Amino acid sequence: MNNIELPSETQPDITSTDETSLLVVILDSNPGQKMLRDNPHILTHCVDSVIAFANSHLMQKAQNKLAIMACHSKTSQFIFPGPGRPLDVRQIDGQYEAFTNVEKTTKQNLAKILSSETSSAITESLLAGAIAMALCYIARLNRIKPPGAKLNSRILVVTGSGCSASQYMNYMNVFFTAQKQNVVIDVCALDQHLSLLQQGCDITNGLYLKVPQLQGLLQYLLWVFLPEPPIREKLVLPPPVKVDYRAACFCHRELIDIGYVCSVCLSIFCKFSPICTTCHTVFKMPAPLAGKTKKKKKI
Amino acid sequence: MGDEEDPKEYRWETGYEKTWEAIKEDDEGFLEASVADIVQRAKRKRHALKQGSQKLGMMRHLFILLDCSESMSSQDLKPTRLMCTLKLLEIFLDEFFDQNPISQLGVIIMHNKRAEKISDLAGNCRKHIKLINNLNRTSLVGEPSLQNGLEMALSSLKLLPSHASREILVIMGSLTTCDPGDILNTIDNMKIEGVRCSIIGLAAEVHVCRLLANQTNGVYNVILDDSHFKDLLLQHVDPPPAAKCLESSLIKMGFPHQINIEGSEEPLTMCMCHVDSVDDGSKLTTGGYYCPQCFSKYCELPVECRACGLTLVSAPHLARSYHHLFPAANYVEMTFSNQASICFACQKTFSEADKQVYQCPNCKKVFCLDCDIFIHDALHTCPGCATNLSTFQITHSN
Ligand SMILES: [Zn+2]
Ligand SMILES: [Zn+2]
Ligand SMILES: [Zn+2]
Ligand SMILES: [Zn+2]
Ligand SMILES: [Zn+2]
Repeated sequence: MNNIELPSETQPDITSTDETSLLVVILDSNPGQKMLRDNPHILTHCVDSVIAFANSHLMQKAQNKLAIMACHSKTSQFIFPGPGRPLDVRQIDGQYEAFTNVEKTTKQNLAKILSSETSSAITESLLAGAIAMALCYIARLNRIKPPGAKLNSRILVVTGSGCSASQYMNYMNVFFTAQKQNVVIDVCALDQHLSLLQQGCDITNGLYLKVPQLQGLLQYLLWVFLPEPPIREKLVLPPPVKVDYRAACFCHRELIDIGYVCSVCLSIFCKFSPICTTCHTVFKMPAPLAGKTKKKKKI
Repeated sequence: MGDEEDPKEYRWETGYEKTWEAIKEDDEGFLEASVADIVQRAKRKRHALKQGSQKLGMMRHLFILLDCSESMSSQDLKPTRLMCTLKLLEIFLDEFFDQNPISQLGVIIMHNKRAEKISDLAGNCRKHIKLINNLNRTSLVGEPSLQNGLEMALSSLKLLPSHASREILVIMGSLTTCDPGDILNTIDNMKIEGVRCSIIGLAAEVHVCRLLANQTNGVYNVILDDSHFKDLLLQHVDPPPAAKCLESSLIKMGFPHQINIEGSEEPLTMCMCHVDSVDDGSKLTTGGYYCPQCFSKYCELPVECRACGLTLVSAPHLARSYHHLFPAANYVEMTFSNQASICFACQKTFSEADKQVYQCPNCKKVFCLDCDIFIHDALHTCPGCATNLSTFQITHSN
């Protein structure tokens, strides 16, 4: 078996009418990310692009569904369809009400979150947590959908943050859960390369793109992330990159080819040490070679 | 799992049984909803029994001892006991290797007083599933011999290094066993070697099975119906507590990466996994994973290098098992009294129907029952804790 390989499920019939596409956009609006600290105005541009993109998703099919989340370091929230009753919107300038609703609700709720953000320190955006929430939300929509209906769900993460090893466990948990639930995770990196999230895209069959030019964000979103996963293979999209799944040792965070794994907690070390620094287990020293090779065969 | 030395070791099972009485009492037309509810509550209970930070046997070596005697042709499970078992085993195998990617499993069948090894301990899920599927043509004859089956499994498990967790899972349809010698000696041997033996009975309770399970710290359950069977089987997906004699060691492993040089034509090479397979034909492929020690090529991971014996894995394989070791904190059940208007995770608006809500002891966020189950069954990360830096660290420090 191969856990990296994805379940080779037959592609759903995309023309079927009782199929709904759910898109959950996770927008990293944490003012503590480097990109926004350098130039806070970028956020407006990103929000506008994401809203235009989200509306394009809704426009594709009447039954398409949308949710937008804002991710910060102390909280993550659904900003569309936010908490409480939907806004009462009238048609403005001939714009379709549903689109106006997305824009108004998103901006209003985002403004609320941003105004409650007091500190200006550099903080990490907890994207893994936001993805965890999104997965719970998707699981609920799957529970309440009418019998026979099919819900194709995907999550798009739009972020300028870097990814830190401290979220490793949470990231892996959400990636494996998404894979099991057939939820595709797409990642649009705005500023820094995100190696962990890139693994998540690979595990869940999603796409990873580091936007070369922030000015063209909307074009990239529409080109790469708007097509639904079943259609993507027929389009010319950026070629998949080989993802490096090599392990990093827990002691120095360095990539290794051969390492030592604690049989109790599965921590990875680059050298043999008599005690596990993670679970404090004391190990037997390696047996003399003669006895070991015999056993080895059977492991 | 508290059931190791706990006298009330079948708490979970009795909990389940009682629920069936509850259904009969509560006969007001909401039967279906209440059954689902009960199953969910039973799941919660099982999670509550799990305790984190307990030493687990992570490198599992499990033999499935499958009864293939005449009794398996009985039709009390649909279409037959054997067919139903094979179908469930397929699900089990998938889950087992998904949750325990660096573990190994083997299958032994018992029929006609003999034991027969269908597959030796190995980590390849698809191969096992194929072999299991082929078992539907097995002739179901005679009586099983539990002793012969156990001894055969033991002879393989004995050879494993001391850090390997050894387990046997018996699926027994027959109420009798036809053994060549005293099975009590075999049970003693199991105990000495630290082999945990669990049994799922398909018919009724058998004394020797109970004894075997009790003596070896395993669990013994008798199924009520096929869904209960599935539930019992899937409980064995979680790694068991480590046996007392289980030694800890540092195991040398290789982490191959796909060699892929951009632009250059890679030569077609043969991978070691398909080198002697007849049915797939020999596969010449480009790319693949190379053993960092001896450069043998494999087309999938995890695998034990055939040439040098090094276990080859990728980092996510190990990560798949971390949730067993670092589970999300159990939530506290509380009566709903407007603690929150919506479930923190799924955004469901709480209503009268939500009699109970669930609160995380770390982040104090409130969740609905469905999310509680989903988070502890599948996600293993508390969305509340994971979205706030101040609680995010707590959950990982222990
Ligand atoms: Zn190191
Ligand atoms: Zn350890
Ligand atoms: Zn090798
Ligand atoms: Zn919920
Ligand atoms: Zn929590």
